[in-house]
Amino acid sequence: PGPARLARLPLARVKALVKADPDVTLASQEAVFVLARATELFVETIAKDAYVYAQQGKRKTLQRKDLDNAIEAIDEFAFLE
Amino acid sequence: MAERPEDLNLPNAVITRIIKEALPDGVNISKEARSAISRAASVFVLYATSCANNFAMKGKRKTLNAGDVLSAMEEMEFQRFVAPLKESLEVYRREQKGKKEARKDKDKKTDSEEQDKSREEDNDDDDERMEEEEQNDEEEVDN
Repeated sequence: PGPARLARLPLARVKALVKADPDVTLASQEAVFVLARATELFVETIAKDAYVYAQQGKRKTLQRKDLDNAIEAIDEFAFLE
Repeated sequence: MAERPEDLNLPNAVITRIIKEALPDGVNISKEARSAISRAASVFVLYATSCANNFAMKGKRKTLNAGDVLSAMEEMEFQRFVAPLKESLEVYRREQKGKKEARKDKDKKTDSEEQDKSREEDNDDDDERMEEEEQNDEEEVDN
């Protein structure tokens, strides 16, 4: 209940991404869990930020260009450029 | 067979559900937008991992831990994630503890399922099982 919910993203998939990094030796299960939760928060955040642009365009469907606009405008998303 | 990072994606159904729950009722998302968010999420994991790993290396540790991930969030300017992540981590730890107690009771008979440990050999792709490190119980979250 509330913000402290368990991960919806499958930890195995997140772990596979972690393992893709050649510099990573080991990752604790907790680390993978926190990464999964962080990714979920990230998805929520970017969806909401992109939606602002859809609203400006008076649309009820989030489109690719809304994402692009959000990524360009918001500093935290610079790593996606 | 090593997978390329670009091939590692997260399940569409879960991503879609998270997006829908974040947005008001009646709002839809195009397939392209959903795809783009899914890819962004994968990149997020890769970037956060790299960032977290720097903290682990700074601490002369070979194992990336939860604290490293939280430090990475601050570094990546997602400080506002830290508090909810800490809460989630607490719940997760309680759950894991509960599971451990349950397993101790079962431990009398030989169980085919091993004690979970989180170990990684280099690129050991066969090892898909999630494992739990013994020392997690003592691990402190620094932030």
